[in-house]
Amino acid sequence: MQITYLEAVRQGIWEEMDRDPTVFCLGEDIGIYGGAFKVTDGFIDRFGPERVIDTPIAESAIVGAAFGASLTGMRPVAEFQFMDFIGCAFNQISNMVAKTHYLWGAPAPLVLRGPSGGYVHGGPFHSQNPEMWFVHNPGLKVICPATPYDAKGLIKAAIRDNNPCIFFEHKYLYRRIKGEVPSEDYVVPIGKARVAREGRDLSIITYAAMVHTALEAADILSKEGIDLEILDLRTVSPLDREAIARTVKKTNKVIILHEHSRTGGLAGEIAAIINEEAFDDLDGPIVRIAGLDSAIPFSPPQEEHYLPKVSDVVREARRLKAY
Amino acid sequence: MAIKKTKSNSKPSSNGNRRHNGGSQSKVNHADLRTYSIPDHRLEHPNLTVRQAIEKDKDGSEHVRYEVTGNLNAPVPPIRDSKYLSQQQCIEIYRYMLLNRKMEVALENLYKQGKVVGGVYFGLGQEACSCASAYALDKDDWFAPMIRNQGSLLVRGFRAADTMMQYMAKADSPTRGRDGTSHFGDIEKRNMVSPISMLGDLIPVMAGVALGARLQGRDIAVMTYIGDGGQSTGVTYEGINFAAVQNLGLVLVVESNLWAYSTPSEMQYRCKDIAERAIGYGSPGVIVDGTDACQVYDAARDAVERAHRGEGPTLIEAKMMRMKGHAIHDAAAYVPKPMFDFWKKRDPIARFEDYLVKEKKWLTAKENADLISEVDRVIEAEREIAVNSPMPTPESAEGGVFCEDGCHDIKPKYAMPKVKKGAGAGPKQTEAAVHLR
Repeated sequence: MQITYLEAVRQGIWEEMDRDPTVFCLGEDIGIYGGAFKVTDGFIDRFGPERVIDTPIAESAIVGAAFGASLTGMRPVAEFQFMDFIGCAFNQISNMVAKTHYLWGAPAPLVLRGPSGGYVHGGPFHSQNPEMWFVHNPGLKVICPATPYDAKGLIKAAIRDNNPCIFFEHKYLYRRIKGEVPSEDYVVPIGKARVAREGRDLSIITYAAMVHTALEAADILSKEGIDLEILDLRTVSPLDREAIARTVKKTNKVIILHEHSRTGGLAGEIAAIINEEAFDDLDGPIVRIAGLDSAIPFSPPQEEHYLPKVSDVVREARRLKAY
Repeated sequence: MAIKKTKSNSKPSSNGNRRHNGGSQSKVNHADLRTYSIPDHRLEHPNLTVRQAIEKDKDGSEHVRYEVTGNLNAPVPPIRDSKYLSQQQCIEIYRYMLLNRKMEVALENLYKQGKVVGGVYFGLGQEACSCASAYALDKDDWFAPMIRNQGSLLVRGFRAADTMMQYMAKADSPTRGRDGTSHFGDIEKRNMVSPISMLGDLIPVMAGVALGARLQGRDIAVMTYIGDGGQSTGVTYEGINFAAVQNLGLVLVVESNLWAYSTPSEMQYRCKDIAERAIGYGSPGVIVDGTDACQVYDAARDAVERAHRGEGPTLIEAKMMRMKGHAIHDAAAYVPKPMFDFWKKRDPIARFEDYLVKEKKWLTAKENADLISEVDRVIEAEREIAVNSPMPTPESAEGGVFCEDGCHDIKPKYAMPKVKKGAGAGPKQTEAAVHLR
């Protein structure tokens, strides 16, 4: 069945709520309204207001309550209307939730999910990719799917996982892409990357919406005889070190592509992993393509300038191929 | 949220009535008149005020100091008879208070011997509040202490050695050396959530514990604490409000102990009593003398029973004074000495002892002396256990970041939630308008 990325997330949560009575949802406007992006549309009629809870506009309370409920063996799925607002709950996530299992041995099986990402002219507070705030927090799993298949399989895996998972849904992809999703139950393992395109000349390591940017660039470059391999990380914490090393060892040249700002971004961490795992296999410099070191601006020409584009990938791939 | 099938959304709160959904504005409806009250169970109302003042030293240099004004010679109030506690229960709470204090004396000595890693936090002067509040909980209820509620841990069944080993960063401490002080928890037996150092975050967490229990068919009480300083945080508001909106059985004990590190409560909030804030949440607020175990217990028990009835949160403001510095390094030189003298006369243990021995005659002098020496023996034995625990190996810093490889079997604490299935065979493909395309 071909479904949108958004439908895939919806189906995943719905099926888990159907399957497991300990799963419930909470968040702002998720009940009768069905959420700002309609991910939980119809859930309140099906599962009742006890399991689909509209909350006050209080992100620390949402995360705190989800965490508290998880300590009683529930599996809460908390929605952020936009992932930009996750900053309001940062202390709760970083100091309370993430450290719990390491410090005092209590598992916290909760999911914090919501839309992130640019390309929709949402402006500086509705377009961010704040995943790196959490990659630097041991104890959290950070998931960023790129396809409907992965969105459904990973949200189900996150709900079943015994650890706090932060699930970034790319809002540009919500209704723009469709993909094949099997009708039977399945999960996609957290922490495993996938090769989105096999290639031999150089590797693009990326995730979420940028996977599609890289695929477009690969189509253009293939006409020039440049064959890109694209590694879709799917999970950005924990990172799949083996898959990163494998693709570098295969192509010997690598571009790391992400939407968020360059400084302190994921590319730096991946470059360090390549340095540790596959330094001798490199035939060129590690190239980064990333957002600018600024807030993400609102006006479409400015936003377009800030964000990585297909043309950036094409240009950098040509340069690296010739190195 | 409990959904009641009534036409009106309006519900009387215990702090007055608030009309929902508009309605006729033209005539006065007496049901809409707001009447609020904050019960105050204290037998005295100290009127001390702290303010900053300029003081000249002997060289004529000016310094900003805190000064206290008010009736510093007011007579010490009696203990209020409990509505609920039996003789035996009073004696048991008294014993916990003794354990609490003597454990902290032992910790102070361990610190002086160089055996404590970091500092020691004391609940001196607050033992009645910690012990009597936790004593009001039933077995299935949950609690989360703050740093000074080491007495609550004893009441809920932890050993003094647990806390001592935490302070000494020992391998056998509840966190196996990974954290200190009262920062540990137990979701299996004692239903305790570990605190973190950031203040107020436990409040929504405890509301969530009550939410989880309610989804499993149980209305439980969830007790936690906050200080007059900590209640300044935004998450405090978020947490109480969430519990109020969801009618969750939060029992929030606000320990108004007058000093937040070095900052007096006059610089934390402007209302007369923090309990007044309960009005803004639509929840009951009550004031007790935090040095009176009977008052603390009665208010906590009322709140716990309200929680068990599914009626929502209660804010209890317990007024007292922190009788040491913020931690052991802090001599509290900023506190005007007359304040210490005033509150020293209101020592919760000395007054409770007088109440039990002299006023009620529930303990003879010999029984009291025997009880005190029994507590001394317990603390000494616990101290031995704690001191003899080894330090953790360096390598034990590793692992345990994630729950994996079957380290926990996660299942509902009380019961598998009963689920109702409404309309809709599956998620429908939605085409509704959305926020951003």
